[in-house]
Amino acid sequence: MAKPATRPAILPGSVAPFSQATRQAEPERWDTPFSKEMTEADVNLVLAHPLFITTRPERFPPSIPLRGILKNDARIRRFLPGEIIVRRGDYGHSAFVILSGAVRIMLKEPPAEQLGRRTALRPSVWGSLKRWWRRPRFPEQSQASGLRLGPVGETRIFLQDVPGVLDADGSIVLKSGELFGEIAALGRTPRTTTVVADDEALLLEIRWQGLREIRTYAPEWKKEIDRRYRERSLLRHLAETPLLWNLPEATLHLVADATRFETFGEFDWHSAYHRGHKDDERQRLEQEPVIAREGDYPNGLLLVRSGFARVSSRYNHGERTESYLGKGQAFGLREIVTGWRGQQHVPLRHSLRALGYVDLLFIPTAVLEEHVLPRLGPEQLAALILEPPPGSAAAIRHEAGGDSFLEFIVAQRFINGRATMLIDLDRCTRCDDCVRACAATHDNNPRFIRQGPESSGVMVASACMHCVDPVCMIGCPTGAIYRESADGQVAINPDTCIGCSVCAQSCPYGTIQMVALHDDEGLPIVTEETGAPVRRATKCDLCIDLPGGPACASACPHDALLRADMRQMDTLTAWLQR
Amino acid sequence: MTSFFTRRLVLSLVTLAGAGGLAAAWQLGRVALRPVALYSGWTLLALLLVLTFFNARKKLPFFPLISASQWLQAHIYLGWLACVVFVLHTGVRLPNGAIEVPLALAFALVAVSGVLGLWLSRWLPPRLTRSGESLVYERIPMLRHRMVAEAKEIVRAAEAETQSTTLGDFHVRVLAGYFAHVPAWLAPLAGGDAEHHRVTLELAALRHFLSVREIAIADQLAELIEAKRNLDNQFAGQRLLKLWLFVHVPLTFALLVFTAAHVWLVLQYSHR
Repeated sequence: MAKPATRPAILPGSVAPFSQATRQAEPERWDTPFSKEMTEADVNLVLAHPLFITTRPERFPPSIPLRGILKNDARIRRFLPGEIIVRRGDYGHSAFVILSGAVRIMLKEPPAEQLGRRTALRPSVWGSLKRWWRRPRFPEQSQASGLRLGPVGETRIFLQDVPGVLDADGSIVLKSGELFGEIAALGRTPRTTTVVADDEALLLEIRWQGLREIRTYAPEWKKEIDRRYRERSLLRHLAETPLLWNLPEATLHLVADATRFETFGEFDWHSAYHRGHKDDERQRLEQEPVIAREGDYPNGLLLVRSGFARVSSRYNHGERTESYLGKGQAFGLREIVTGWRGQQHVPLRHSLRALGYVDLLFIPTAVLEEHVLPRLGPEQLAALILEPPPGSAAAIRHEAGGDSFLEFIVAQRFINGRATMLIDLDRCTRCDDCVRACAATHDNNPRFIRQGPESSGVMVASACMHCVDPVCMIGCPTGAIYRESADGQVAINPDTCIGCSVCAQSCPYGTIQMVALHDDEGLPIVTEETGAPVRRATKCDLCIDLPGGPACASACPHDALLRADMRQMDTLTAWLQR
Repeated sequence: MTSFFTRRLVLSLVTLAGAGGLAAAWQLGRVALRPVALYSGWTLLALLLVLTFFNARKKLPFFPLISASQWLQAHIYLGWLACVVFVLHTGVRLPNGAIEVPLALAFALVAVSGVLGLWLSRWLPPRLTRSGESLVYERIPMLRHRMVAEAKEIVRAAEAETQSTTLGDFHVRVLAGYFAHVPAWLAPLAGGDAEHHRVTLELAALRHFLSVREIAIADQLAELIEAKRNLDNQFAGQRLLKLWLFVHVPLTFALLVFTAAHVWLVLQYSHR
């Protein structure tokens, strides 16, 4: 219908001309340096240190000069005697070089309280009663006197009763020129020991990005870091691999010597995670670095050291996800074994792609054929030639949720979850008993949102998944966010959380909430300096101290809610097929 | 992990066996001239209290009181057993006393609302899942309000851009009412998609008279209509799933009050 001529013209839309757009420089890697206080004089000081004298700056590309790395990816930190530098269990994102002074590596872990941590909570009926009795009247009610209000400057924690701890437990002293923390930083694994300053110590802290570049362009650093990894971790890692269990120690050393380290993908995958959501699945898959391609000859066994990888195969014009691999799992073994037994080349049946980032150990086929395969029993060999056993991720695809569910959990990286909250929407009556139970057991404020992405009738609710790779733990200035054990729940100690929100911003799944605290009267607690509300990070703690397990799961009357360890394929498949 | 079918089968058989055992005991008691009405009455009272405790369990998530899903299973099958005991207790006759009538009526309504609730709890969730994205019930009024505003905004922008009032007229005539509409209480049981179907057809019919640009805008509106369909389904379905509890739970309390009166009267006068 034509518009009447007498009608007044309606103003055009709000699309601004391109010429009026706000312009800014393309974001670059060093826009946000590790520390703004690192000066050129500091860089000169570091370069003059004996550890860096042999490092040749000309080996570094012009776009990533050594000076630039030290200026932007490193910082100098002074530690006072007894100050904790790293704590066992914390997730490392940096390594340290001792410029002067000395540090002590604790051989035996001091008690949690001495490290500023909360004593480990254990489930008990008494704990349940206590929680019920102390339940607050208002959401997030807190005692203002016990709070540490706001991140003012750098947060420092000191080991209490240093002489007592050292006398009782013993320690190793590291002096100027020594490097520590690099394995945790490069492998994103928990720190294996606690390190404290012995006397006043000046340390260069290098974040993982810089350390990775130095390792790449300075062969002496690579050699040293790899040597240390071989000495400290590789043998243990290989010895834990079922395939190598039967090897004599000497042979294991031979295998270790031949093993190569390989890294694929983006180490800080969580930064790109949300950006990736905008891409379609095919685009996303094409962006994933290919580690091994279907049809190629398997020139080595790939063992996942950390991170995740997608196993896929060609299907018409696309790639279909068959499975995914996590820490400790291997790729290419079946083809190698089948080829070795049949004296022929058996190409890879699947492709392997890095999901985010993945650290791999590469054991050459020739080494396997010479030292490992001849030691396997006939039953082991037969099992390695057969089709994948039931209960693998492939079983999920074919038997339960179909293609889409497997593609969904891999694409959205929910495979990272150790306690992912899955809700069977065909059973869920949306009664919110789970939410109420969570609120009742957590300061009148639920620690999750019953909403999230869905696929095949299953919702992944917005609740902490207690990830295998908990990127939220990287960078917490007080260590308030921690793991109860090496593979346990990720929890936040409310007494040491300063509300800086680093963890909430790091969590790729958005499951950590910053909440405002209230006093006994229900009034907001604010800082003395600015009057801003005092906030604290909160998230699901899996009801650590409740004997019945997570309140959400035990409160669901319809068997609709599961806290699933995504590595336990059998449980997941059984749950999907009930 | 036990499949739902196996669990249903096992618990049904156990309940049947229990009901058979109770009926046999009742018959034997009658033959032996025992006060079976008293025994069955106490059994029924015990069952009612256990059944009621399911609600209390929900209020005490702190304590390791067996999972709510196990409680629900017990609630369902003990509920069936209570029906059998009720029939034995009343002797399959219509009540006629001043307390008996409301007591029996309350029991019957609680039982029927319970069965209806169980059926709804199993029948509606898959339909909500298939309808589309799951929405949080409390957020739905806000989403509806936003949808009304968005539809209006799209049409206004379309008028401005295309200098035509066709879509604007359609909005006034059909869409405004559709987006503001709140589905009836029992809409999920009646299908509930008729209004959506009508609006979709009307928009499809209108497309013949639209320009290329207007068709693109009509596609946007069609997406919004589809989102409204899901919103209505989610709202009506979830409301019904909550509503039946507002019938079942208050009736249970009424039943407990009448039961207490009944027990008091029995204790007061049965030995005279």
